[in-house]
Amino acid sequence: MSATPELHAVESTDPLAVPRRVALVRPDTRPAVRRIEERYVMTFPHLIVREVILFQVVVIALSLVAVFFDAPLEGIANPIETPNPAKAPWYFLGLQELLHYFPPIVAGVLLPALVVLSLAVIPYARINLTAGPLWSRGGKSTALALAAVTAALFILFGAFGCWPIAVPTLLTAGAMFAARGGATGGRLRRALARVTLPEWIMTWFVVIATLLTVIGTFFRGPGWTLVWPWSGTI
Amino acid sequence: MPLRRLFAASSVLFLLVLAISPAKNALRSYRSLQRQYRKLGSSRAHSLKAAQSYQARPVAIRQIWLRDFDNRVDRCETCHLGVADPLMAGAPGPFALHPGTPHTPEAFDRFGCTSCHGGQGLATTQADAHGTAADAGPPMTPPAFIEAGCGRCHLAENVTGAAVLSRGRALIARAGCYACHAVRGQDTFRSEAPPLATLPLKTGGEWLKRWLKDPKSIDPNATMPNFHLTDQAIDELSHFLFAAQVPKELAGLIEAAAAEPPGSSANGKKLVSESRCITCHTVEGKGNGSAPELSKIASTSSRGWLLAFLREPQAFNPRTPMPRYHFSETESRDVVAYLEDEFRDFDAPKGILEPLRVNQSLAENGRKLFRLYGCFSCHDPAGSASEKFGPELDGIGDKRAQSLDFGRRTDLVRTLPAWLAAKLESPRSFADGLKMPSYGFSADDSRAVVTALLALGAQSVPERYRYAPPQKPALLPGGPVGSLIQSYRCLSCHQIGDRGTDVSTAPLTYEGSKVKRDWLVDYLMLSYTLRPILEERMPVLKMPREDATQLADALQNFYVDPAIPADPFAGHPASDADPVEGQRLYVGLGCRGCHILGSSGGYYGPPLTEAGKRLKPGWTYAWLKGPQRWRADVRCPDYGLSDTDALRLTAYLETLQAAAPAAKAASVARGAK
Amino acid sequence: MSATRVSLTDWLRGSAVYRSIVRHGTADTNRNRSLVIFENLFLHVHPVKVREKTLRFSHTYWLGGVTLVSSLVLIATGILLMFYYHPSVPQAYRDMKELNYVVDNGLFLRNLHRWAAHLMVFAAFLHMLRVFYHRAYRPPRQFNWVIGVVLLIVTLFLSYTGYLLPWDQLAFWGVSVGTNMAKEAPLVGEKIRFLLLGGNVVSENALLRFYVLHCVVLPVAFLLFLSVHIWRVRKDGGVQGPPSDTNDPRGEEAP
Repeated sequence: MSATPELHAVESTDPLAVPRRVALVRPDTRPAVRRIEERYVMTFPHLIVREVILFQVVVIALSLVAVFFDAPLEGIANPIETPNPAKAPWYFLGLQELLHYFPPIVAGVLLPALVVLSLAVIPYARINLTAGPLWSRGGKSTALALAAVTAALFILFGAFGCWPIAVPTLLTAGAMFAARGGATGGRLRRALARVTLPEWIMTWFVVIATLLTVIGTFFRGPGWTLVWPWSGTI
Repeated sequence: MPLRRLFAASSVLFLLVLAISPAKNALRSYRSLQRQYRKLGSSRAHSLKAAQSYQARPVAIRQIWLRDFDNRVDRCETCHLGVADPLMAGAPGPFALHPGTPHTPEAFDRFGCTSCHGGQGLATTQADAHGTAADAGPPMTPPAFIEAGCGRCHLAENVTGAAVLSRGRALIARAGCYACHAVRGQDTFRSEAPPLATLPLKTGGEWLKRWLKDPKSIDPNATMPNFHLTDQAIDELSHFLFAAQVPKELAGLIEAAAAEPPGSSANGKKLVSESRCITCHTVEGKGNGSAPELSKIASTSSRGWLLAFLREPQAFNPRTPMPRYHFSETESRDVVAYLEDEFRDFDAPKGILEPLRVNQSLAENGRKLFRLYGCFSCHDPAGSASEKFGPELDGIGDKRAQSLDFGRRTDLVRTLPAWLAAKLESPRSFADGLKMPSYGFSADDSRAVVTALLALGAQSVPERYRYAPPQKPALLPGGPVGSLIQSYRCLSCHQIGDRGTDVSTAPLTYEGSKVKRDWLVDYLMLSYTLRPILEERMPVLKMPREDATQLADALQNFYVDPAIPADPFAGHPASDADPVEGQRLYVGLGCRGCHILGSSGGYYGPPLTEAGKRLKPGWTYAWLKGPQRWRADVRCPDYGLSDTDALRLTAYLETLQAAAPAAKAASVARGAK
Repeated sequence: MSATRVSLTDWLRGSAVYRSIVRHGTADTNRNRSLVIFENLFLHVHPVKVREKTLRFSHTYWLGGVTLVSSLVLIATGILLMFYYHPSVPQAYRDMKELNYVVDNGLFLRNLHRWAAHLMVFAAFLHMLRVFYHRAYRPPRQFNWVIGVVLLIVTLFLSYTGYLLPWDQLAFWGVSVGTNMAKEAPLVGEKIRFLLLGGNVVSENALLRFYVLHCVVLPVAFLLFLSVHIWRVRKDGGVQGPPSDTNDPRGEEAP
């Protein structure tokens, strides 16, 4: 708890509270120290009723889907007759799609392990707690680093022919550069300008994961070749 | 407060939505069908009690549990409520009584419904049970192919009562499908197609090219399919076939025959008509059609080859069904002379039988084509490996439509029968590079073949439900008798045990118990027509006496049936053997309606004029006691004769010894027309 | 008419049995409303009062709630389905058909279970993204984020083990493809796969293992982690919404 220049003074905003409370906080400490007077409501009924409504709405939606759409059931399992393509459940199709580009050990073990590990350490990485908007410091070096990393990733994934990753990488980087100096632009650019580096990375990941899953689910036919979803061979 | 209203609305909606599924459940269509059935049943019932019992039927899922079939369950009766109820004959909708078949209504509990009809027995909705809904399991066999169901258990080629299936199986065997496609139980199948070694000495390049273009247009009886070859491929194949080395001794035979002096066409004409060639061949479309058309034979084959082949057919093609006729040297020259005079294509170009001058590089390409199209499967089966050329057909009847490759045929209904029919009709239309030839089946033939293919199921039928007709031991002796049977190709027409074909109505299995030896020897040497209304008659094989006696003795000794008594009269009082009473029965039963006796009587059955000379009394007696036992489809009625009556009739027939030279001569003359 | 009904309600509420079960009066005073919460085992995971702001839809989008509700639906339908299911070959597949065609509402039950499972996986993903973009993983909630990641993985495994149970072609090949991926892990891959499948291929042993995992092991693990997850949310002051001002790393309203 050494005194660093990053410490900020936070004052109580309640004009009636005398004496005023002042606290010194580091940016990465719990935000609970700043107390703002707020309106409180009784949990019952305000929260409980909402929860019951949520429950009912979810069950209604699920029931309607269950009434009108039957769960798929194919012929009895037959180890001799391999369907082409044999597909995993949808949430693993992103992985299966990766398998198409990378050696099994990379796609099946390395990448998923990396993803799970990265997710687990998010709250312990300092950058996730302290990062401000990406371009908050103008940042020529940021631009250079970003360009270098993007080029490296693009070449790496491009080398494997994995365009569903390489192209979104390029697009994300494009969006990141577009955010530069956006603080004075229109609403969209202002919003982009506020995005932090971890958020950019997560967005990049989500776009790729979604794209891979969608391709694996709808656009892969016999022999894992590209097909149109409406060509009906699935 | 909007939250309250939202809460109220969501609560009401919640209850309503949860009620949908129970409501749907209560409205399942089988329930209303069962209520309709109650009404229908009680309106049709003959008694109050019966009507009440219809009314009392609970609404419930009904099922047949098939213990022997993998514990399968058929719930078809949940909707098809009247299948076994005689009151429901002609009832509307799903309630009708099942039409009578050999297995219904008694055997519903043994076979259920899906064993014959296919479909999904577990389902209780129409779309799922009939398999019309996507992904709902195997669809039912369409009515047009219903006999496929019979074929799942009945494995013999000929299934009584299933004419379409039987015809389909016969067509498959005749078309030689088994040569390329593996099917369980057909491992020993060998095509009858000729080996091609003597082809260069048999025919000409021009004829061969025409033949390869479309065999059926040259000979409607051709079993060879159309391979849709390009002109270039035809050219290359022809060069390959003409490059073949003719085996020395066959070449010698052909060349020697070609050098022989011409014979007498007039005598040849007489011989040809006596020989009953059209029992197998056709002449201008007339005849049985299981062997090539003869009307243009002399423009197909060279004289030398014809002559040599006629003398030793089996040396040219060990699997030919053609018997060896014992023509003398001169007689065979006469026959061929007649063929050369009359049986030729008068429109054919002059050089149609000119041999092809072989170009080696074309021949080399042709050799590759010969392999590429699997020609060896039929023409040189010994040369092919154990591997079949085409895909296996076992289990094809249970293929799911989704797993079939429709390729370019987007026009087809996505069902297995449609796929199979299209594969037969134009097999190359699915994708490029397919090799299966087309067989030119008519619509009816195609339906029969598809039926037989649909019977090739993957689902296991329990061993004890599989019905192949009892294996009658096929007593085929080796040694000289065996080679006689081989050489005269008895099995091309007759059955022995479960071997042979049923061109002839007379199986040889128990021939020794049936006919008398002396008659048989005479008949073999100069056969004549027993059943004038049949197209197929015993050919005159010109058998020498020693061959005839040897065969007759073998038949007498080996081909007997213990169920046919040697002496039926033994152990019966002499009064039972009273021919006078027998004659009265003969008249009384109306045997004359079908049988010729002397100069009058019907043509349907065999003449009985010399029955006593031909038939053994034991056979006559056994036949009279139940004709259908010996031939299931025979029209001779089973009069249910008592022993005494049967014996009297036998005794009467035994007295009919009169040789009828006039009748015999007449029949021979008829055969010669 | 209405008088009778009121008196009937009053009589019911006044009865000794009712009072022994619900130990407070009508929830029309704040005292009684508080009692509703802390007299109830299940509700007392909530505080008596909550910040009004947290009730807003955009605060959490109720995504954790949706995930929780789907898991409740899954537990309810799953227990009912267990009455009809035998984890053996080929009876497992036959049971699916029986559910479709014979069991009253059986198809509805199975559909509900299947779709709720998809919803749960999907909602859990979205919940995680929401928490990330709201930066609700910040101290003191770091470890609860990790528990959330564990819950996500348990959810995926629950869904995956359930995928095999119908024993149809989809199930068999889906699981074959998945377990073949596990095989690629260095050193232990083959062993893990063998352990998971009870053999080298997807067979009846695998079906039994997946059944036990799906119906006992994973649900128990899920409920344990879920309890901790929710308990910690309560301890850390309730659900954490978006930061009030994303420009200012300090600008964070206090719970």
